[in-house]
Amino acid sequence: MTDKERYKRAFSLLRASEHDLMEVASMDHVKVLPVRRLVSLCAAAVLIVAMASVAYAADIGGIQRKVQVWIHGDQTNAVLDIRGKSYTLSYEDENGEPRSVAGGGVAIGLFGKERPLTEEEILEHLDSPEVAYLEDGSVWVYYHDQKLEITDKFVDGVCYVQLQEDGRVLYLTVTEQEGYTMSTHGYVKP
Amino acid sequence: MRLTTEEIFRTYTDRLFAIAFTVCQNREDAEDAVQDTLIRYCGAKKDFESEEHIRAWLIRVVINRAKDIRASFWRRKRAGWEEEMAALPFEEPEDSRLFEAVMGLEEKYRVVIHMFYYEDYDIREIARILGCPGGTVKSRLSRARALLKNTLKEDWNND
Repeated sequence: MTDKERYKRAFSLLRASEHDLMEVASMDHVKVLPVRRLVSLCAAAVLIVAMASVAYAADIGGIQRKVQVWIHGDQTNAVLDIRGKSYTLSYEDENGEPRSVAGGGVAIGLFGKERPLTEEEILEHLDSPEVAYLEDGSVWVYYHDQKLEITDKFVDGVCYVQLQEDGRVLYLTVTEQEGYTMSTHGYVKP
Repeated sequence: MRLTTEEIFRTYTDRLFAIAFTVCQNREDAEDAVQDTLIRYCGAKKDFESEEHIRAWLIRVVINRAKDIRASFWRRKRAGWEEEMAALPFEEPEDSRLFEAVMGLEEKYRVVIHMFYYEDYDIREIARILGCPGGTVKSRLSRARALLKNTLKEDWNND
């Protein structure tokens, strides 16, 4: 037996968990985001960083956590309330007015089965960079305390953005209409 | 040229999972990478020249996604490849030794070994998919073979 035959025999045993046909029903909202992250985004462009040692309060049927929120580059305190497939983020704006943002998230399993995202998955997603396509036609990239307008930076419908923080580099490939993809290794070609 | 989602899924899911597993070394992350790749294919507006072009694109994307997932700050503790290996029904003991030896290699060697021996790509094709020089691929393949030979002895022919 050749090495190739032996190798194939050994590694052909690796199989994905299920063998049902995956239905990708709503591609418009999932093609931008990696799966196992939030599928639907909240209306406002809000970034959230959950600090490690915050108060945790268990609520009936949900999880409530105090977090520090990045909103368009400014950090503030907020309460993240997760119930089932949805969450609510409550905070005060720069004028001291109470605000809330609601969102939902499901993880689509390998073959179309949905389950609510875990708290960790929600926090993981909310810590990712955000690209906002505003009503005035401007396009902004937000990541923690960084904000960058890229409205006029598109070439052939694509803008490449590099974000750096604490030695970590994130490469964003942003399209004018269809969202963005992210990698830690280099720019992903659209 | 485009293949339907069903065609892509039935033809490539397990193959993509295998190559993602060589990168991630755990089932959960590998399946995430495959899922991301399939969804990205479905959403891509790209028109491919041939099925070979599609296959190469899928493999390149799943490798990159697997690397990104593995490097993610928020990765949870995952079952390792040893636990996965323990559940695989190897036909012969030498198969499990080969699997263990490959998984014990560094990632850069595992990937080229898998693309050469499982996906039947040559050095030039591997270089194009990975986006690195042919000399680099050749060097890695040679080094990986030497390591496997040293570990597996007569169970590896270096052919």
